[in-house]
Amino acid sequence: MESSVQSQPNVVDSSFRTPSGHHAERLIAIRQEMEYLNTIGKRFVAAIDRIQVHRALLAALQELYSFSACCILLKGDPFELFVIPCYPLDASFLGSMFQHISNAASRLNFPYMTPVQLARSAYFDAPDELAQTRTEGDIAESEIGSYLHIPLTVENRIIGMLSLFDEKTDTFNANLLQLTTMIADYAAVALENVRLHERENALWREAELERMRLELIIGSMAEGLLITDEKGTITSLNKSGEQLLSEALDDLTPGVPLHKIAETSSISWLPRLGEIIGQALAGNTVKSQEMVAGKEEERVPLTLSISAAPLHDASESSSRPLGVVAVLNDITSNKQVERLKDDFVSVVSHELRTPLTAIKGYTQHLVRRIERRLRKLRDDPNNTVSIAELPESYDLRSLSIVQSQTEHLERLVNDLLDLSEVQWGHLNLHYDTFYLADLLTESARSVQASAEQHHISLDIKAHDTKVQADRVRIGQVVGNILDNAVKYSPNGGQVSMHLEEQEDNYIVSISDQGMGVSPEQFDHIFERFYRVHNTASQHFSGIGLGLYVAKAIIDQHGGRIWLSSDQRTGSTFHFTLPREPAPQ
Amino acid sequence: MLPTHDDSSSISREQVTEAYLKAIGLIDERVAPYLGKATTRALVQGAARRIRGTYPFLEYLVNRPYTDVVLSVIHEQLSGTPPEELAEGLNMLLDECFAGLRELTGDLIGPPLHDEVTHQLRQWQ
Repeated sequence: MESSVQSQPNVVDSSFRTPSGHHAERLIAIRQEMEYLNTIGKRFVAAIDRIQVHRALLAALQELYSFSACCILLKGDPFELFVIPCYPLDASFLGSMFQHISNAASRLNFPYMTPVQLARSAYFDAPDELAQTRTEGDIAESEIGSYLHIPLTVENRIIGMLSLFDEKTDTFNANLLQLTTMIADYAAVALENVRLHERENALWREAELERMRLELIIGSMAEGLLITDEKGTITSLNKSGEQLLSEALDDLTPGVPLHKIAETSSISWLPRLGEIIGQALAGNTVKSQEMVAGKEEERVPLTLSISAAPLHDASESSSRPLGVVAVLNDITSNKQVERLKDDFVSVVSHELRTPLTAIKGYTQHLVRRIERRLRKLRDDPNNTVSIAELPESYDLRSLSIVQSQTEHLERLVNDLLDLSEVQWGHLNLHYDTFYLADLLTESARSVQASAEQHHISLDIKAHDTKVQADRVRIGQVVGNILDNAVKYSPNGGQVSMHLEEQEDNYIVSISDQGMGVSPEQFDHIFERFYRVHNTASQHFSGIGLGLYVAKAIIDQHGGRIWLSSDQRTGSTFHFTLPREPAPQ
Repeated sequence: MLPTHDDSSSISREQVTEAYLKAIGLIDERVAPYLGKATTRALVQGAARRIRGTYPFLEYLVNRPYTDVVLSVIHEQLSGTPPEELAEGLNMLLDECFAGLRELTGDLIGPPLHDEVTHQLRQWQ
């Protein structure tokens, strides 16, 4: 039975079953050994949890030895220790076991663990069906008679240690050591598989919990959330989304892209929704697009603000989007408030205009009367008093101030009335044929009269500037832009107007040398009541309607208005105006 | 305790290092079929950790397997260590490895291997 370590170290010594060196017997022994290994291999392969691995290990080892306990120490943070006693063990025997395991683990360069730590964390697993029966009268020993510690390795990596203990001496021998190591290797691979399986299950559970959490969040969102695939087919719509799009729910056939549904649906707003999704599918992020998703005949129909963004694969951001995620916000209540505000502004503007007209008229009447009286006094040869010192002269100056402030108030009221007209969609244009160059010249002259610090120039690069448009309204646009140019360049400077012709349009550009507009304000500058938010703007009068009304006028003419600005050199407003209105 | 060379001062550091690395290789060769390829490496690392306080030059072996040791690099690192101290430290390392082997398997494979390594070391030195 003895085997020399030096001799034939790589050959499995099967002398424990057949000591004969005869060839046939040797073959039989090898076959038996292979069958044995095959049997225990199957047990380990079939094991899907730690307990089953422990049973397979115990069963395999018990075929080789009769021992008191088997322990499995697994590295990790925290480490794990499983103790599988074959029968009840004496407490001091157990204590010695932990001491042995601690020492052996230290020798294998495991992180240091004391016997007490091992005892506290030990998990006892005692399978009854494999328990050995003690001979009657046997008393549990308190000393360890023999031991064996074998590293558990997976791909040359030590993952733990198998320890065997027995009360008797010489239980383990060198001849069975290789076989025991093979069993330990099986156990190590099986335990590693179990660990990976447990990890996989834990990850699945984690992913499932995360998915449920996300589902709950999406389901509880007050905003609607709509997700499509790469073709624009709705793949997910949360509860709020269903409520917001309830009018079209019957039409939203599963598996059909939105733009296809929109082609056949009677729902008026579906094409708009399809268009927004289409923009995002083209790779653009769409922000706060308004869409009326209710019945137009309602005073304030259901109105949604939609933001949509393309969904890209995390690894390939430049490729075609995998779909679109869109957030739908119900802004109907905002619209109701806006509507109320517009109504209020409209009513107040009209109410203000009537007394203003009276004030303006009577002021003008008083001015003329005083002027007549002063003329008489000036012409009277008997008058010895200086005209400037007459009370009438003081009255005239006061009335001039009243007149000027009334005109300012009238402009504000007119702006508010224009706002109402734009809001209600009643901005009526009165088309006329005129020369745009003449209008620009008149506007420049009018503004120049009250802007002594500025020099307004006009550069016309067009042969024929005849245009069919609303002369008053276009004059209002040019006036508003020029007023801004003068107002926001308080140190004076050049204000340049350029007129160019394109195929069917004229382009007018008005540049100043003022404070300019920062890029983040470009998107908002044409919004109503928007004023450039910098400290300097607080010193400038106005209610932020001029550019809003200008844009509405240009839009209605079929043109376009935009801004280019550099805060170092000033602002340039451009607008295009078609030579003649587009056919309706 | 493994016997050191009778006249260690007459041999160079390089000879000492190579002799002990060969001895560890021999242990590995004999132990691997019984306890797997990783065992000797772990035993050497564990042994180096235990005695690095006394022999700081063994620190080099604590964080890497002895099979990764590059002779030219370790020769350079050991240049300041006297050959006697080097032999003593490496001898202690081998003793600790055998103690570790005994801790794992009792007397199953340690004693005959100890004899073989002792014999071979005498020849290599």
